[in-house]
Amino acid sequence: MPKRLFQGLLVLVMSLAAALGFASAAMAQDSDLSIRVQVRDQQRDEQGRPDNQPVAGVTIVLADGQGTELQRIETDAEGVALFPLPAKADYVVTLVEDTLPDGQSLSEGTVVEQRIPADSFTTSTRTISYFTGSSQSATQSSLEEVAQLTANGIQLGLILAMCSVGLSLIFGTTGLTNFAHGEMVTWGALMAYLLNVTGLGFLGFLGFLPLIDGDGRFQILLAAPFAMALGAALGYAFDWGIFGRLRRRGIGLITQMVLTVGLSILLRNAFLFQFGGRTRPLKDYTLQQAIEIGPVSVTPRDIVITLLSAVILVAVAMTLQMTRLGKATRAVSDNVDLARATGIDTQRVIRIVWMAGGALAALGGVFRGMTEQVGFEMGSNLLFLMFAGITLGGLGSAFGALVGGFMVGLFVELATLVVPSELKNTPALVVLILVLLLRPQGILGKAQRVG
Amino acid sequence: MDWVSIFENTLKAFVGINAVYFAIAALGLNVQFGYTGLLNFGQAGFMACGAYGLGMTSHYFDISFWWGPFIALGFAVVLGLLMGVPTLRLRADYLAIVTIAAAEIIRLIVRSVRFKHFFGGSDGINGFSDAFRDVGQDLGIQPASDYGIRPLEFTGRQLWTLIIGWLLVALFGLVVYLLMRSPWGRVLKAIREDEDAVRSLGKNVYWYKMQSLILGGMIGTFAGMMLALDRGSVQPDNYSRDVTFYVLTALVLGGVAKVSGSIVGPMLFWAVFQFVDAVLREASKSGPIRIGDLTLIESTQVGPVNLMLIGASLMLLMVYRPQGLFGNRKEMAFDGR
Repeated sequence: MPKRLFQGLLVLVMSLAAALGFASAAMAQDSDLSIRVQVRDQQRDEQGRPDNQPVAGVTIVLADGQGTELQRIETDAEGVALFPLPAKADYVVTLVEDTLPDGQSLSEGTVVEQRIPADSFTTSTRTISYFTGSSQSATQSSLEEVAQLTANGIQLGLILAMCSVGLSLIFGTTGLTNFAHGEMVTWGALMAYLLNVTGLGFLGFLGFLPLIDGDGRFQILLAAPFAMALGAALGYAFDWGIFGRLRRRGIGLITQMVLTVGLSILLRNAFLFQFGGRTRPLKDYTLQQAIEIGPVSVTPRDIVITLLSAVILVAVAMTLQMTRLGKATRAVSDNVDLARATGIDTQRVIRIVWMAGGALAALGGVFRGMTEQVGFEMGSNLLFLMFAGITLGGLGSAFGALVGGFMVGLFVELATLVVPSELKNTPALVVLILVLLLRPQGILGKAQRVG
Repeated sequence: MDWVSIFENTLKAFVGINAVYFAIAALGLNVQFGYTGLLNFGQAGFMACGAYGLGMTSHYFDISFWWGPFIALGFAVVLGLLMGVPTLRLRADYLAIVTIAAAEIIRLIVRSVRFKHFFGGSDGINGFSDAFRDVGQDLGIQPASDYGIRPLEFTGRQLWTLIIGWLLVALFGLVVYLLMRSPWGRVLKAIREDEDAVRSLGKNVYWYKMQSLILGGMIGTFAGMMLALDRGSVQPDNYSRDVTFYVLTALVLGGVAKVSGSIVGPMLFWAVFQFVDAVLREASKSGPIRIGDLTLIESTQVGPVNLMLIGASLMLLMVYRPQGLFGNRKEMAFDGR
């Protein structure tokens, strides 16, 4: 019993350490200067009262006093888009009317473009409200819109693919469906936030080095690799502290799967505990001017992220295809017993898969945190898209995860041509169900019995 | 620290409406998970079917409240088919993935502006339950007056919902108990133990699983209905993804594949939850809980801490006592594959 108790305590201590690992100072950022834009639907009900529904998925553009575009954000589920600002200055906020849900338009008297003079900041947060009402005009899908959505979709797809590789490989090598994988994504973004925004004060003496300032804040270029390493550490901790032990004790996969659900709840709330419920941006490259490439408007940051994701995914694929370790991984994924019989150290391979998966998920989280914002639920909100992706690609296949994740990301973005953007995850469920009906082994999965 | 009120609230939570709707949801989940071995991670979706079935009677259909349960059951059948048809021939985890996804999509749809006309958007639906209240009033329970003795004091409104709720728990408990002793129930348990063996006896495993999924879902709709009736409103965020997992934790705590487990589990779950919550809130009321200079928990952080404990308990239960308090280790769906 003491040994069992020890293991139980270990699990708890580990998770609490994960919770408290990033110092409590993380929350001190709330007073930063920002513009908060909220979009509300004022459609009146039968009694004539406006209902004030938040409108999600509306693109808001922030520009400086000269009208140069700085940043564009979609409103979240609360109908809010939050722009962090470096200083009080003249700004212009514009609502992109094409992105309003079908059948909605700005109500009369609401101006699309709102100027915010520097002296109008009475508090650190300036709130701008847009009100919409219903209208009969439907938005038109144009070629430009398709091009823009394709660009967004490629980016989301690559990030999804990066996050899903670990999920699929862990399934392939151990048979475990990890419902806490979304938290591994969030973990990466939060670690980057800790290094990039909160800063590690005790590392301030390193301020003479490039990319580190006197408060121990790491430039994101440096914070991202550290976040990856911490992601790998989390993967290692999961396998060493929990799942490796459960495997050795012969605990069934279904039990382990329900356990991952508990782990996901534990970690997500630990993140909420430390980070709070708000979403926050990372520090570097947040205010960027979009450049126009043909019909597509995209920030340099997003271009770099997209290219970098593509390079990393190719590297992952090459590693799996060509190196000894990659071959061993695929062998274990194919058939554990056969792999062991040929002398592969399966436990070691599984441990490495957890670490690599954790690192890739963390980097995906950092990229997602840069393009969107960092929040405690960001990973778990992606989980279901990841599942759709790896099911489409073939559960357990790494290449399948790459292809499937990419396709789902692209599809979800393009689907907003027909689906309101507040519902843009819905088509992924359709994909999931169709794949399971028509080709349950996925695109790249082997046609074996999966039932 | 006000221990008297803490214990009173704990006792109240033991029999309160939360325990009621969790018990109903857990009974449904038990049919699927405990008896048949189906991993339904989307019970919240079925609960939403129940709540919106009631709410839409006034909000969209504009018909009598009493059609609500039938509409809800219709929704549940459709949802069960949607989840079951693609997955029930496949390995167990596909069902888990599709059910969790479906429940999440349902929440997105019902809170969307686009479908506000049907579901009321993120404000939900209010003012649909008068007909239900009137029955209580006709039976002599005055909504505004207090009943019971301290600490088990409830207003007439609460009492009426509680009475109906516990009657439903008893009814579904009996139904599940009898069904699982019937030949039909024995087939379900046999599927959980060895699907191939059942198939080789000529039973249509797929169809039995589908029946189990839909039956459990239909029971689950009543959990959503009781929650909606108690609150007097239907709120999309009451049916979020994690609700399923809290119900699952409560079920595993009581014991899977046991009717008693799925009733006592939720009662204990809510008593413990309320107790921890009250203690932490009392302790952090006059300032953060701290050890020396180290701030541990601030009053705004009590909620997440409590939910972290739920996650941790689910993990520890799965490792050390997956059969729960009343379960039988031999009747475990967990080690199927």
